[in-house]
Amino acid sequence: MPLSFTPVIGLEIHVQLATVSKLFCSCSTDYIGQKPNTNVCPVCLGLPGTLPVLNGRAVEFATKTALALNCRVRNRTRFHRKNYFYPDLPKAYQISQYDLPLAVGGYVELTEADGSKRRIGIQRLHLEEDTGKLVHIASDGRLSGALYSLVDYNRAGIPLMEIVSAPDITSPAQAKEYVARLRQLVRYLGVSDGDMESGSLRVDANISVKVSDGRWGKKSEIKNMNSLRAIERALEYEIERQSSMLARGEEVEQETRHWDDAAGVTRSSRSKEEAHDYRYFPEPDLLPLVLEEGFLEEIAESMPELPWEVFKRFEEVYGIEPEDAALLSERRDVAAYFEACVKAGASPDKAANWIKTELFRVMNECKCSADDFPVRPEALTELLRKVEQGDLSATAAKDVFGLMAGQGLRLDEAIKAAGVSVGKVSGGALKDIIDEVLRENAEVIEDIKSGRDKKGKKVKFLQGLVMRRTKGQADPQEVSELLDESLNN
Amino acid sequence: MAISEADVRRVALLARLEVTDEEARSLAEHFGKILEHFHRLQELELSEVDPFSLEGPGTPWRSDEAKPWGGRDEILSEAPRREGDFFVVPRIVEEE
Amino acid sequence: MELWKLPAWKIAEEVRRGNLSASQVVESHIRRMESLEPSLNAMITPMPEEARRRALAVDEALSKGTDLPLAGVPVAVKDLLCTEGIRTTCGSRVLGEWKSPYTASAVRYLEENGAIVIGKTNMDEFAMGSSTEQSAFGATSNPWDLSRVPGGSSGGSAAAVAAGYAPIALGSDTGGSIRQPAALCGVYGLKPTYGLVSRWGLIAYASSLDQVGPFSRDLVDLALVLEVISAYDPLDSTCVPGSRPRYRDALKAHDLKGQRIGFLKGYQDFDMDDEVKEKLAFALRICQEGGAEMMEVSLPVSTGYGLPCYYIVAPAEASSNLARYDGVQYGLSEEGKSILELYLKTRGKGFGNEVKRRILVGTYVLSSGYYDAYYLVAQKVRRLIADEFARAFSAVDALIMPASPTVAFKKGEKLDDPIQMYMSDLFTLPVNLAGLPAVSMNVGYSKAGLPVGVQVVAPKWGEMEILKVASVLTDAVGSPKVAMGGEG
Ligand SMILES: [Zn+2]
Repeated sequence: MPLSFTPVIGLEIHVQLATVSKLFCSCSTDYIGQKPNTNVCPVCLGLPGTLPVLNGRAVEFATKTALALNCRVRNRTRFHRKNYFYPDLPKAYQISQYDLPLAVGGYVELTEADGSKRRIGIQRLHLEEDTGKLVHIASDGRLSGALYSLVDYNRAGIPLMEIVSAPDITSPAQAKEYVARLRQLVRYLGVSDGDMESGSLRVDANISVKVSDGRWGKKSEIKNMNSLRAIERALEYEIERQSSMLARGEEVEQETRHWDDAAGVTRSSRSKEEAHDYRYFPEPDLLPLVLEEGFLEEIAESMPELPWEVFKRFEEVYGIEPEDAALLSERRDVAAYFEACVKAGASPDKAANWIKTELFRVMNECKCSADDFPVRPEALTELLRKVEQGDLSATAAKDVFGLMAGQGLRLDEAIKAAGVSVGKVSGGALKDIIDEVLRENAEVIEDIKSGRDKKGKKVKFLQGLVMRRTKGQADPQEVSELLDESLNN
Repeated sequence: MAISEADVRRVALLARLEVTDEEARSLAEHFGKILEHFHRLQELELSEVDPFSLEGPGTPWRSDEAKPWGGRDEILSEAPRREGDFFVVPRIVEEE
Repeated sequence: MELWKLPAWKIAEEVRRGNLSASQVVESHIRRMESLEPSLNAMITPMPEEARRRALAVDEALSKGTDLPLAGVPVAVKDLLCTEGIRTTCGSRVLGEWKSPYTASAVRYLEENGAIVIGKTNMDEFAMGSSTEQSAFGATSNPWDLSRVPGGSSGGSAAAVAAGYAPIALGSDTGGSIRQPAALCGVYGLKPTYGLVSRWGLIAYASSLDQVGPFSRDLVDLALVLEVISAYDPLDSTCVPGSRPRYRDALKAHDLKGQRIGFLKGYQDFDMDDEVKEKLAFALRICQEGGAEMMEVSLPVSTGYGLPCYYIVAPAEASSNLARYDGVQYGLSEEGKSILELYLKTRGKGFGNEVKRRILVGTYVLSSGYYDAYYLVAQKVRRLIADEFARAFSAVDALIMPASPTVAFKKGEKLDDPIQMYMSDLFTLPVNLAGLPAVSMNVGYSKAGLPVGVQVVAPKWGEMEILKVASVLTDAVGSPKVAMGGEG
């Protein structure tokens, strides 16, 4: 009987919290693109004699996330010191949580491709501080063959929320889906921008492979996966690597491996001189982390509707297809925009269609959020109404929408500026255009007259050409009548 | 309790302390003596003792306001090795 | 009358009245410091020029009507309290010429009240020691006998106050580092309740034990300085919010009627100098004559197990607190081809023997496989010690204990035997483990003329209580004398 291999995957996710100041000092967290060592102070540089003071907003953000993940949040926890030497760690210890994390025991529910539900357990969620960054560069500016490394502490001390999943994930697709859901959640909650490329959301994977003959390989820790796609690819690669080793009867070593996205492989990290021994002990510079009476209730009350709840509601209340509901609920701003359209009187189907095509297209171009999109939901609803009433053709409406979005025009201004309105080209002007189209398509007329256009397709083709030439400003009914007239002459 | 020089070296590496052979010898001796002292603690009945109380007031919370700190140049000027705005260390080979 | 003999409160009074200028006061103390410093080596960084400049500024501020309760009072500051613009060394090579860009809160509070820092005092490296011999800047001598140690680790501060460099000084106390040198130098030294005084700018040895506290030759000065430095500070999360009492009010007590004073059961059997025992008995008699009800207290865990408990907890925290001295951002930095080599060499060269010993012990007791057997056990014992004191304080209002088992010992005497040295703090370190306040004070002199001290310990936030007892003891024994020709 051939062997089968089952991957066992657990993910550790570090999320930078979107506080304005760092976890234990008042330095700004806005570090991307800053000059090195600008957002620094004696505390986050760990200068002698300095002490940490906890940022309450970070606790709020972590707690909010924990509640959304169905975790049990503890009222009394503490911080620990995790001790190790590395130049990006200014105090040579990281203030983190250890035996008593802020929250334990939650889950995320995933929808599989076949529509079935699967719960991925959350083991723990805790707060800790981020490290600085090392830049490896040679004196001549080359990145390889560097003679020394440069240290920038702008990132040191930014609040991180670490979310550790149970080893419940059984496929790369699931892992990707899990991360996508978490990323969606932190964005919904406004606790992080969740950007993987810039490192706001970082994923490490623990993966091992179980063999049907009872063997179970040791786990690898995979780092440096900077996109959802990278997670999927890295895990696929790793499953293949470990499975084929086990198939050959080899042992899988426990190690840390880095994903090389360009090469599409994981590589073993150079082993350090010694095994890690972090010597955790309770942080004596901080008192216990206590959530006051009523704090959890306040957080729960301020909780927005969660993405999966929004998804469900869109499906059930508005009768939207699952794929569309997923698209519309992916982002909180888009979901809110959609709902505002419906509230303003748009039909859910039409609004959904418009949003997933036109709105998304323009939002992609301008990289803006639906919250501050220039065409407000009420205006879009009005535009949709005009299309429905036949005042604007679908094509003209797109032009109008483009002008509203691009130049911030009101609906009536945009219609005027686009020079479009239904019925504007008619009578003699329309007749001229029809004659012009017929002259240019003599052979099509031949076909029609000789009775070869059995299904009326060619007539439709001509109608289309006329409409296009009028930029949708003709009444289709009139076009059809005038065209028939001309053809029958 | 005897502590070998190898034990001393293992701990010294963990603590990033260079020790000479002579230091390792004398430290091993000191370690042995002090650990003997430590073992006296085992005489006490401790099974019911909760060492880390979570009682009492919680750690204060700061409001989330960014206040730039003006003295970065002073700090950078203390750097033993510096390139521009960076601190400099010997080349780190490991990734990440 | 030499100005350097005056108590701080008197200096402030005269300077505020305009009878003296801050500059005059500072000049007198600087001269005293400069004449004795070659024999004492109490200072790592004397600051005569800065002090003179500050004095002019204080005089100027007074002339504009600013009220400064400590106007013109010279203060010596232990060199692990950061002072902006002046190097802070911790008695170590590892910090090099590092200057902090901030000032420790306790120092800042004093300066804001008109006090003038005249220098940074010598100390055992990173406050690890009981003799001020383990300093990279040489040993400090005891002003009562130059062949002897002043105690430690705040030996420089104790010696500076005893010899009249300044009427007041700041030190830090992690296991007795204020109280033991205060006893050996014959001055007052107060270790506040953990959380009373801000630790911002105090370079950490063991964060859960460290407290900043004052030295003085006058009890009013001690209370006055405590009032100033104990202000709540939001920069230290372990500093307890709320207002502090006017500690000088405690000194109105001239008897101990209705007070229950405890003393260690069988203290005569403890291993300590006979003359220390005698003076302790003397102090107990004074309390009794002052109307206190005297009660025997037994603290078997604290006195029997406090020492090993402390020498696990403190080094464990120290191993972490001192890990930042790695040659990357500031201070000493040796060359290394790799980062590991840079770390090993910098730390190997930068730290002295005792610091290395404690870093290693601390690393060991936290390391995988040993944490439960050592660190966890010690933390449990620490809890027992705190509970034991709490029980004792349900029966008594204050405890009188030795501040040091011996009078000042000879230089070099205990240097080769670390554990003997550790015994110096036998009676002081349980107080830190329990987070309690204690004042150490002189109660007389040995036949050889060496000061002998006792300490008064109270429950948490019992600073008023210990000052009350100290006040009654002072009524009986008198204020400490100034050493080195200061009596006349
Ligand atoms: Zn900072």
